[in-house]
Amino acid sequence: MILVFADRSDDELYAQALAFARTLGDDLNAVGVDDPAGYSPDGWATALAQVTRERAPTVVVGPGTDRGNEVLAHVAAMLDLPMAANCVQAAAGDPLTLTRVRWGGSLLEEARLHGTPALLTVAPHAVAADVAADTEIELVTAPTTASARLSGHTATVTAGVSLADADVVVSGGRGVGSAEGFAVIEELAALLGAAVGCSRAVTSAGWRPHSDQVGQTGTKISPSLYIACGISGATQHMAGCKGAKKLMAINPDNEASIFASADYAVFGDLHEVVPAISAEIRKARGG
Amino acid sequence: MALAAALAVSGTLFFTRVRLLAGFVQRAAPTRRSGDVPRRARNEAEIVLGQRKLLQRLGPGLLHAFIFWGFLVLVPTILIAMIGIVDKNDTLPWLGHQGWYALLVDIFCVLVLAGVIGALWIRKVQRPKRFEGSHLGEADLILALIATIVISLLLWHATRIALHLNEWPASWSPVSNALSHLFADNQTTKVLERVFVWIHVLTILGFLAYLPRSKHLHIFVAAVNVWFGRTRARGRLEPLKFDDPDIPEDEIRFGAGTSKDLTWKQVLDTFSCTECGRCQDACPAFATGKILSPKLVIMGLRDAVFAQDAEAQLVPDAVPADSIWDCVTCGACIQACPVSIEHVDHIVDLRRHLVMVESSFPAEAEPMLRDVERASNPWGKAQSERADWATELGIRILEPGDPAPEYLYWVGCASSFDERARKTAEATAKLLQNANVDFAILGPRESCTGDPARRIGNEYVFQTFAEQNVETLNEAGVTKIVTGCPHCFNTIGNEYPDFGGSYEVIHHSELLSELVRDGRIKATNNTQLPITYHDSCYLARHNDVVEAPREIVSAIGKPVEMDRSRKSTFCCGAGGAHMWMEERGAAINEERVREAAATGAGTLAVACPFCTVMLDDGVQSAGADLRVVDVATLLAEAIDDGG
Amino acid sequence: MNVLVCVKRVPLTGGKIVLTDDERAISTRHLGFTVSPHEECGVEEAVRMIEQHGGSSAVLTLGPPEAEEQLRDMMALGIDRAVHLVTDGEEWDPQATAQAIVDAIRSEPEPPDLILFGNESADAGNYQVAIRVAHKLGLPTVTGVKGIEIQGDGQLRLEQEVAGGRDVYVVPTPAVVTVKEGLNLPRYPSVPGRLRAKRKPLEASTPERPQPKLEMVKLTLPPGSGKQAQVLGKGADAAPAVVTVLDELGLL
Repeated sequence: MILVFADRSDDELYAQALAFARTLGDDLNAVGVDDPAGYSPDGWATALAQVTRERAPTVVVGPGTDRGNEVLAHVAAMLDLPMAANCVQAAAGDPLTLTRVRWGGSLLEEARLHGTPALLTVAPHAVAADVAADTEIELVTAPTTASARLSGHTATVTAGVSLADADVVVSGGRGVGSAEGFAVIEELAALLGAAVGCSRAVTSAGWRPHSDQVGQTGTKISPSLYIACGISGATQHMAGCKGAKKLMAINPDNEASIFASADYAVFGDLHEVVPAISAEIRKARGG
Repeated sequence: MALAAALAVSGTLFFTRVRLLAGFVQRAAPTRRSGDVPRRARNEAEIVLGQRKLLQRLGPGLLHAFIFWGFLVLVPTILIAMIGIVDKNDTLPWLGHQGWYALLVDIFCVLVLAGVIGALWIRKVQRPKRFEGSHLGEADLILALIATIVISLLLWHATRIALHLNEWPASWSPVSNALSHLFADNQTTKVLERVFVWIHVLTILGFLAYLPRSKHLHIFVAAVNVWFGRTRARGRLEPLKFDDPDIPEDEIRFGAGTSKDLTWKQVLDTFSCTECGRCQDACPAFATGKILSPKLVIMGLRDAVFAQDAEAQLVPDAVPADSIWDCVTCGACIQACPVSIEHVDHIVDLRRHLVMVESSFPAEAEPMLRDVERASNPWGKAQSERADWATELGIRILEPGDPAPEYLYWVGCASSFDERARKTAEATAKLLQNANVDFAILGPRESCTGDPARRIGNEYVFQTFAEQNVETLNEAGVTKIVTGCPHCFNTIGNEYPDFGGSYEVIHHSELLSELVRDGRIKATNNTQLPITYHDSCYLARHNDVVEAPREIVSAIGKPVEMDRSRKSTFCCGAGGAHMWMEERGAAINEERVREAAATGAGTLAVACPFCTVMLDDGVQSAGADLRVVDVATLLAEAIDDGG
Repeated sequence: MNVLVCVKRVPLTGGKIVLTDDERAISTRHLGFTVSPHEECGVEEAVRMIEQHGGSSAVLTLGPPEAEEQLRDMMALGIDRAVHLVTDGEEWDPQATAQAIVDAIRSEPEPPDLILFGNESADAGNYQVAIRVAHKLGLPTVTGVKGIEIQGDGQLRLEQEVAGGRDVYVVPTPAVVTVKEGLNLPRYPSVPGRLRAKRKPLEASTPERPQPKLEMVKLTLPPGSGKQAQVLGKGADAAPAVVTVLDELGLL
């Protein structure tokens, strides 16, 4: 039996986790946690660990969301079992073999997991969600005491579109040259209703806040279109934008590594190209 | 006697002040400025006696030369005047009687007066910008005192002639002689004769006491400062020592944070400054509206030396921080300074303290510093990709244990990682292959020379790279290095010897022009199109390489010079780590591009990867019709086209 | 207060990753190294906390002999001392890593009030070492933290970034917290700090590596996208082609 942790913090990723679980077997138990007191990673893990002990699944699968990784890690610690985070593929066996993500997606690791049940989380967008099949989610109650419990929430007010949810993102890298230089990026973003992102060099230089950073240690985005301006394509940046459906790169260096991952290429300086695009958009819209 | 009393007062005031100033110099931090005596003597002769640097501006230079040479000629007249006070009928033995000397005195009194009047005209009527920020009142006073001294001398001579007291033949002093007709041989004149000599001597003694309390101090200090100026390797900065076993850790000098950190040469620099403002005029930052004025930096530091406040931070108390960061280390200020002040040393030492102790520097430079240190190049790209540009060209990459090539081609970070600068490396490599030169590159083992770290003030990180690169080069048995980057050229050639690395370093334009001369490269296609060549500061001004790139340009097209060329070149704006910093105010590169465009040439030739990028950026932003291209690329095209 | 930060030495990979011949590691021949980015922010936070509230700090790593470079770099930022669990360069799996860290913490004369980790290491990204350490030590733990405040009563108010805002947790010390880059902007080390760091105490030991339960067999590069980018043009002249693409994608 495959136990699936029904973390509903992201429905799409949960559906993908279900589809992943199905590659390991047909007998799925989807279990979610009901907690009137609110979220608690160790509290929820206690409940999930209890179910695991009682039902002895061969594999426990969770989505590779922050919550999924966190809860499953707690379960792993409680049961003193190995856990593999962000898997893209797994095959049942003794030991279970799997392929998981390293470096935010720029490298893959093939591994053997020695332990039963195997605890796995699923890398986002490694498998397609199976929309047809539907598995009923059983709810278990979390214990009332927990060592760390969510006690409050402050909402961030974003002017405009949030980077993580945006359908179009326009980013600037080192090539922008200064904080003021981002004006052209912001202009294009405004025309497209897009969010503005940046590379890590930009954040280090103090030109934009870390909340704008796209990358392995910043925000991971999955827009329909990602327009990367003056960004050379370091692996840690690409790890943040590999979820983009289409990538357009604007860079004066035609040898830049970003072009190897791009769908569309423009060779040129963003300070010339981006304003020209903005002007062309206005023209096309009849203004 | 009254004279003795006056001498005593003046002398005391003079010497107590001099002792105070000498104390500042003595207690200052140490630095080495010894050796190379013949060159130093030549500098004294040319710069001090010959007024060579002053004469870089002919008009004001001549005016000053008159006053200076006049001072030299008139020194004995001070003694003559004092003797004349004691005994009306006495003078200096022999010299006091020489007609030729009296003639010289007369001529130079007039020249000095002309100098003073000319100077006053410049200051009051012309009012050039270079005096903005200088103490003009003090200058006026000094000019007035000088005028008083020579006028009173002439008048004294005139009255003596009228009284027939002259010990020299009157006809030999035409001016004094002419003036003497204003006076009759009578009691009034007798009184006036005493009055004039006393005015003369008291003014001199007063001036003497005032001298070390004013910028006129330069008349003694400047000569000393010129002696101790750099005689060679002008582009070399003095290293700091972090691991001297004799210096306890809390006494290590990390640059200049307070006035006590300045070296004795730096203190002398501040005492030599006459506030002439030629450095300010030459400074590209000042010319483009930034607050940096090298003159004001030195004046600010001078005030700090006098204040001797151990707690006051030089930046920002004596010099504003923005001023320090505006500097592109081009050296135009040093080139212009008539008294051998080395402004760049001061600015870099101030940066060193800010960067290494306070960790305070423009935020946009932080990624560059971190990248240099961690990734070994300021672009932050992986060193493993450094030789990617060379893979298809069949260039030999020197691995450990390989035999050393005749030339190690040091490509530099810019030409390895920047797409525009990379073309220069490709062209250079093709030309060298074409000419069958035995060369190799280090590839991924070539790391940043450390120049950007050193110029921004992180001497510690720089030294790590210097030591590492020297080790790599020495182990590889490298003796000759050719490089296309003037910054690498300067650092490896002038600064690596301090870290055990002595190589023969030449710039690619020098090697290429030699190959053209020897016929190993045949530039068959001379288009005769006008090409203007921009001298890189680190190549021309700091290192005197001026003709070799021009030879290449002449072989390809028709050279057209800009006004500010050769050692008077105007910076592209990338030096002093500015390639990675933002620029306030108008752009230095655009200013230079406009100058280039004004020559009417369609091609702007360069010999430096930073100049390539900065001037090309300038062409885009200023909208000029110029092709910016390295001389190596031009040469490679001239061969290809020729077939 | 007594803060311990755990860090890992990772390579700076650049534009593409190259593997060793045996495909069990990244080829690091010409790569620079650094502390994993989330952890650097943890170190900076620890230094600030001690500056503000007094106490002592330590940095710990499980890594090869070369990892001393990272420990000295962290001490240059102001950490007081270092603990180096020296390995032979082979990887340790998350459970073994956690156990070694727990053993080292248990042998400390004074247990730390706060143990900081990065949310996940840049290379392996297993997301679990900190949580395992917390369980073994019986301490509360919160992950993905971007704001830490020490409250008057000795409790920690922690902010975790989530979609749409921040979740708040309040836990007593001692506690384990994992942090993310963006928590603060790490300072640039001063040279006096670096020189002092050379002489700060570093305690090294060589724990024995147990058999891995999550056993890495080999590393592979993800399949190339096989994409050939469609070149839309050069410079401003490409703008019309770009707009055509935007139109095709329905974004105009």
